[in-house]
Amino acid sequence: MENALAFIGRNFFLIFGLMAVGAAVAMVFSKSAVHSVLSFLFAMLSIAGCYLSLQAEFVGVAQILVYAGGIVVLFLFVVMLVELTRFKEAGGIFHVQTPWAVVAVLGACAVFIYVFRGLIFDPASKDALVLKPELAQGLDVASQNAQAVSRGLFAEYLLPFEILSVILLVALVAAVAIAKQERA
Amino acid sequence: MVSMNGVLLISFLLLAVGIAGVLIRRNALVILMCVELMLNAANLNFVAAARHSGTVNGQAFALLVMGFAAAEVAVGLALVVALYRRRDTVSVDKIDLLKG
Repeated sequence: MENALAFIGRNFFLIFGLMAVGAAVAMVFSKSAVHSVLSFLFAMLSIAGCYLSLQAEFVGVAQILVYAGGIVVLFLFVVMLVELTRFKEAGGIFHVQTPWAVVAVLGACAVFIYVFRGLIFDPASKDALVLKPELAQGLDVASQNAQAVSRGLFAEYLLPFEILSVILLVALVAAVAIAKQERA
Repeated sequence: MVSMNGVLLISFLLLAVGIAGVLIRRNALVILMCVELMLNAANLNFVAAARHSGTVNGQAFALLVMGFAAAEVAVGLALVVALYRRRDTVSVDKIDLLKG
Protein backbone atom coordinates (compact mmCIF):
# COMPACT_ATOMS: atom_id res chain seq x y z
CA MET A 1 0.00 0.00 0.00
CA GLU A 2 2.72 2.44 0.98
CA ASN A 3 4.68 1.32 -2.03
CA ALA A 4 1.72 2.12 -4.26
CA LEU A 5 1.30 5.53 -2.63
CA ALA A 6 5.00 6.26 -3.02
CA PHE A 7 4.80 5.20 -6.67
CA ILE A 8 1.86 7.54 -7.23
CA GLY A 9 3.72 10.35 -5.46
CA ARG A 10 6.78 9.87 -7.63
CA ASN A 11 4.84 9.65 -10.89
CA PHE A 12 2.18 12.25 -10.14
CA PHE A 13 2.90 14.18 -13.31
CA LEU A 14 2.95 11.19 -15.64
CA ILE A 15 -0.29 9.78 -14.21
CA PHE A 16 -2.12 13.06 -14.67
CA GLY A 17 -0.55 13.61 -18.10
CA LEU A 18 -1.62 10.19 -19.33
CA MET A 19 -5.11 10.81 -17.95
CA ALA A 20 -5.19 14.07 -19.91
CA VAL A 21 -4.07 12.32 -23.11
CA GLY A 22 -6.68 9.60 -22.63
CA ALA A 23 -9.42 12.16 -22.06
CA ALA A 24 -8.27 14.08 -25.15
CA VAL A 25 -8.50 10.93 -27.27
CA ALA A 26 -11.98 10.26 -25.87
CA MET A 27 -12.88 13.87 -26.71
CA VAL A 28 -11.86 13.51 -30.35
CA PHE A 29 -13.45 10.11 -30.90
CA SER A 30 -16.75 10.41 -29.04
CA LYS A 31 -19.81 10.78 -31.23
CA SER A 32 -21.93 12.91 -28.92
CA ALA A 33 -20.92 16.55 -28.48
CA VAL A 34 -21.88 16.53 -24.81
CA HIS A 35 -19.56 13.57 -24.20
CA SER A 36 -16.85 15.50 -26.03
CA VAL A 37 -17.31 18.49 -23.74
CA LEU A 38 -17.21 16.29 -20.62
CA SER A 39 -14.01 14.60 -21.80
CA PHE A 40 -12.61 18.08 -22.46
CA LEU A 41 -13.45 19.02 -18.88
CA PHE A 42 -11.66 15.91 -17.61
CA ALA A 43 -8.60 16.70 -19.75
CA MET A 44 -8.47 20.27 -18.43
CA LEU A 45 -8.68 19.07 -14.80
CA SER A 46 -5.90 16.54 -15.46
CA ILE A 47 -3.72 19.29 -16.95
CA ALA A 48 -4.40 21.36 -13.82
CA GLY A 49 -3.04 18.39 -11.84
CA CYS A 50 0.05 18.43 -14.06
CA TYR A 51 0.57 22.12 -13.24
CA LEU A 52 0.25 21.38 -9.53
CA SER A 53 2.86 18.64 -9.77
CA LEU A 54 5.15 21.13 -11.56
CA GLN A 55 4.84 23.43 -8.52
CA ALA A 56 2.85 26.03 -10.43
CA GLU A 57 0.00 26.22 -7.94
CA PHE A 58 -1.40 29.55 -9.10
CA VAL A 59 -1.49 28.50 -12.75
CA GLY A 60 -3.10 25.20 -11.77
CA VAL A 61 -5.89 26.86 -9.82
CA ALA A 62 -6.36 29.46 -12.56
CA GLN A 63 -6.63 26.59 -15.03
CA ILE A 64 -9.45 25.05 -13.00
CA LEU A 65 -11.22 28.41 -12.64
CA VAL A 66 -10.88 29.53 -16.27
CA TYR A 67 -11.39 26.22 -18.07
CA ALA A 68 -13.58 24.10 -15.79
CA GLY A 69 -15.47 27.13 -14.51
CA GLY A 70 -15.76 29.28 -17.62
CA ILE A 71 -14.92 27.74 -20.94
CA VAL A 72 -16.55 24.33 -20.39
CA VAL A 73 -19.76 26.06 -19.29
CA LEU A 74 -19.65 28.21 -22.44
CA PHE A 75 -19.23 25.10 -24.58
CA LEU A 76 -22.13 23.37 -22.81
CA PHE A 77 -24.32 26.43 -23.35
CA VAL A 78 -23.61 26.41 -27.07
CA VAL A 79 -24.24 22.66 -27.25
CA MET A 80 -27.59 23.38 -25.61
CA LEU A 81 -28.37 26.25 -28.05
CA VAL A 82 -27.33 24.35 -31.15
CA GLU A 83 -29.43 21.28 -31.73
CA LEU A 84 -26.57 18.91 -32.43
CA THR A 85 -28.68 15.77 -32.66
CA ARG A 86 -29.89 16.97 -36.06
CA PHE A 87 -26.43 16.95 -37.56
CA LYS A 88 -24.98 13.52 -37.04
CA GLU A 89 -21.72 13.60 -38.94
CA ALA A 90 -22.54 11.44 -41.93
CA GLY A 91 -20.66 8.16 -42.12
CA GLY A 92 -19.32 8.25 -38.58
CA ILE A 93 -16.52 10.61 -37.67
CA PHE A 94 -14.07 9.47 -40.33
CA HIS A 95 -13.99 11.56 -43.48
CA VAL A 96 -12.16 12.38 -46.67
CA GLN A 97 -9.59 14.38 -44.79
CA THR A 98 -8.68 11.45 -42.54
CA PRO A 99 -5.77 10.06 -44.60
CA TRP A 100 -4.26 13.54 -44.58
CA ALA A 101 -4.79 13.76 -40.82
CA VAL A 102 -2.98 10.47 -40.33
CA VAL A 103 -0.16 11.61 -42.61
CA ALA A 104 0.13 14.93 -40.74
CA VAL A 105 0.20 13.33 -37.29
CA LEU A 106 2.69 10.68 -38.39
CA GLY A 107 4.87 13.40 -39.90
CA ALA A 108 4.70 15.38 -36.66
CA CYS A 109 5.65 12.22 -34.71
CA ALA A 110 8.60 11.63 -37.03
CA VAL A 111 9.83 15.22 -36.65
CA PHE A 112 9.43 15.03 -32.86
CA ILE A 113 11.36 11.77 -32.60
CA TYR A 114 14.04 13.10 -34.97
CA VAL A 115 14.51 16.29 -32.94
CA PHE A 116 14.41 14.67 -29.52
CA ARG A 117 15.88 11.24 -30.34
CA GLY A 118 19.00 12.08 -28.36
CA LEU A 119 16.98 12.97 -25.29
CA ILE A 120 14.55 10.09 -25.51
CA PHE A 121 16.73 7.17 -26.54
CA ASP A 122 20.13 8.13 -25.16
CA PRO A 123 20.35 7.19 -21.47
CA ALA A 124 23.55 9.21 -21.05
CA SER A 125 21.86 12.57 -21.68
CA LYS A 126 18.82 11.70 -19.60
CA ASP A 127 19.54 13.97 -16.64
CA ALA A 128 20.64 16.85 -18.85
CA LEU A 129 17.12 18.29 -18.75
CA VAL A 130 15.94 16.98 -15.40
CA LEU A 131 14.15 19.72 -13.50
CA LYS A 132 16.21 21.11 -10.68
CA PRO A 133 14.19 21.72 -7.50
CA GLU A 134 16.92 23.81 -5.89
CA LEU A 135 16.49 26.36 -8.70
CA ALA A 136 12.80 26.74 -7.94
CA GLN A 137 13.18 28.01 -4.40
CA GLY A 138 10.55 30.59 -3.67
CA LEU A 139 8.11 28.73 -5.88
CA ASP A 140 7.48 25.87 -3.51
CA VAL A 141 4.77 27.33 -1.25
CA ALA A 142 1.44 28.34 -2.71
CA SER A 143 1.44 31.90 -1.32
CA GLN A 144 5.01 32.45 -2.45
CA ASN A 145 4.13 31.11 -5.86
CA ALA A 146 1.23 33.55 -6.16
CA GLN A 147 3.52 36.38 -5.00
CA ALA A 148 6.21 35.48 -7.49
CA VAL A 149 3.75 35.14 -10.38
CA SER A 150 2.06 38.43 -9.58
CA ARG A 151 5.43 40.16 -9.41
CA GLY A 152 6.25 38.81 -12.85
CA LEU A 153 2.80 39.67 -14.20
CA PHE A 154 2.47 43.20 -12.80
CA ALA A 155 6.09 44.35 -13.01
CA GLU A 156 7.85 42.66 -15.85
CA TYR A 157 4.87 41.84 -18.07
CA LEU A 158 2.62 44.78 -17.25
CA LEU A 159 2.21 45.92 -20.87
CA PRO A 160 1.19 42.46 -22.21
CA PHE A 161 -1.16 42.13 -19.27
CA GLU A 162 -2.88 45.44 -20.06
CA ILE A 163 -3.04 44.58 -23.76
CA LEU A 164 -4.67 41.29 -22.76
CA SER A 165 -7.33 43.12 -20.79
CA VAL A 166 -8.12 45.33 -23.81
CA ILE A 167 -8.25 42.23 -26.04
CA LEU A 168 -10.67 40.57 -23.61
CA LEU A 169 -12.89 43.65 -23.74
CA VAL A 170 -12.80 43.67 -27.55
CA ALA A 171 -13.62 39.94 -27.59
CA LEU A 172 -16.56 40.52 -25.24
CA VAL A 173 -18.02 43.24 -27.46
CA ALA A 174 -17.32 41.22 -30.61
CA ALA A 175 -18.96 38.10 -29.22
CA VAL A 176 -22.13 40.01 -28.36
CA ALA A 177 -22.14 41.79 -31.74
CA ILE A 178 -21.61 38.58 -33.74
CA ALA A 179 -24.11 36.43 -31.86
CA LYS A 180 -26.79 39.13 -31.82
CA GLN A 181 -27.33 39.38 -35.60
CA GLU A 182 -30.84 38.86 -36.83
CA ARG A 183 -31.70 35.97 -39.07
CA ALA A 184 -30.96 36.99 -42.64
CA MET B 1 10.88 14.14 -9.70
CA VAL B 2 9.49 15.21 -13.02
CA SER B 3 11.80 14.78 -15.98
CA MET B 4 11.71 17.20 -18.88
CA ASN B 5 11.41 14.19 -21.21
CA GLY B 6 8.10 13.26 -19.65
CA VAL B 7 6.76 16.81 -19.92
CA LEU B 8 7.80 17.08 -23.56
CA LEU B 9 6.29 13.70 -24.36
CA ILE B 10 2.92 14.42 -22.68
CA SER B 11 2.74 17.86 -24.25
CA PHE B 12 3.57 16.45 -27.67
CA LEU B 13 0.92 13.76 -27.33
CA LEU B 14 -1.68 16.40 -26.41
CA LEU B 15 -0.65 18.51 -29.41
CA ALA B 16 -0.83 15.48 -31.74
CA VAL B 17 -4.32 14.56 -30.49
CA GLY B 18 -5.39 18.18 -31.00
CA ILE B 19 -4.06 18.31 -34.57
CA ALA B 20 -5.67 14.97 -35.36
CA GLY B 21 -8.96 16.22 -33.95
CA VAL B 22 -8.91 19.41 -36.02
CA LEU B 23 -8.20 17.40 -39.16
CA ILE B 24 -10.59 14.50 -38.52
CA ARG B 25 -13.69 16.05 -36.97
CA ARG B 26 -16.09 18.17 -39.02
CA ASN B 27 -17.99 19.63 -36.08
CA ALA B 28 -17.04 23.27 -35.43
CA LEU B 29 -17.51 22.88 -31.67
CA VAL B 30 -15.16 19.91 -31.42
CA ILE B 31 -12.62 21.70 -33.60
CA LEU B 32 -12.67 24.66 -31.16
CA MET B 33 -12.11 22.27 -28.25
CA CYS B 34 -9.15 20.71 -30.08
CA VAL B 35 -7.63 24.18 -30.58
CA GLU B 36 -7.97 24.75 -26.83
CA LEU B 37 -6.23 21.43 -26.23
CA MET B 38 -3.28 22.50 -28.40
CA LEU B 39 -2.98 25.80 -26.52
CA ASN B 40 -2.89 23.82 -23.28
CA ALA B 41 -0.12 21.61 -24.62
CA ALA B 42 1.93 24.75 -25.29
CA ASN B 43 1.07 26.06 -21.80
CA LEU B 44 2.37 22.85 -20.25
CA ASN B 45 5.72 23.47 -21.91
CA PHE B 46 5.77 27.07 -20.64
CA VAL B 47 5.17 25.94 -17.06
CA ALA B 48 7.75 23.17 -17.33
CA ALA B 49 10.31 25.63 -18.66
CA ALA B 50 9.54 28.01 -15.79
CA ARG B 51 10.09 25.15 -13.34
CA HIS B 52 13.28 24.13 -15.10
CA SER B 53 14.81 27.61 -15.16
CA GLY B 54 13.61 28.53 -11.67
CA THR B 55 11.95 31.76 -12.83
CA VAL B 56 8.28 32.72 -13.04
CA ASN B 57 8.38 34.13 -16.57
CA GLY B 58 6.94 30.95 -18.06
CA GLN B 59 4.13 30.84 -15.52
CA ALA B 60 3.22 34.49 -16.15
CA PHE B 61 3.18 33.80 -19.87
CA ALA B 62 1.02 30.71 -19.33
CA LEU B 63 -1.52 32.93 -17.55
CA LEU B 64 -1.51 35.38 -20.47
CA VAL B 65 -2.03 32.51 -22.93
CA MET B 66 -4.98 31.35 -20.80
CA GLY B 67 -6.56 34.80 -21.14
CA PHE B 68 -6.09 34.81 -24.90
CA ALA B 69 -7.62 31.34 -25.09
CA ALA B 70 -10.68 32.60 -23.22
CA ALA B 71 -11.05 35.51 -25.67
CA GLU B 72 -10.66 33.15 -28.62
CA VAL B 73 -13.31 30.78 -27.29
CA ALA B 74 -15.77 33.62 -26.71
CA VAL B 75 -15.46 34.86 -30.31
CA GLY B 76 -15.36 31.33 -31.77
CA LEU B 77 -18.51 30.22 -29.97
CA ALA B 78 -20.29 33.43 -31.01
CA LEU B 79 -19.34 32.60 -34.61
CA VAL B 80 -20.74 29.07 -34.20
CA VAL B 81 -24.01 30.42 -32.84
CA ALA B 82 -24.29 32.99 -35.65
CA LEU B 83 -23.50 30.27 -38.17
CA TYR B 84 -26.18 28.01 -36.75
CA ARG B 85 -28.72 30.82 -36.95
CA ARG B 86 -27.94 31.78 -40.53
CA ARG B 87 -27.14 28.50 -42.20
CA ASP B 88 -28.62 25.90 -39.83
CA THR B 89 -25.46 23.86 -39.59
CA VAL B 90 -22.31 23.53 -37.51
CA SER B 91 -20.47 21.26 -39.93
CA VAL B 92 -17.43 22.98 -41.41
CA ASP B 93 -17.91 21.03 -44.65
CA LYS B 94 -21.20 22.87 -45.30
CA ILE B 95 -19.57 26.32 -45.05
CA ASP B 96 -18.25 26.66 -48.58
CA LEU B 97 -19.36 30.14 -49.64
CA LEU B 98 -15.84 31.05 -50.76
CA LYS B 99 -15.35 27.84 -52.72
CA GLY B 100 -14.63 28.70 -56.35
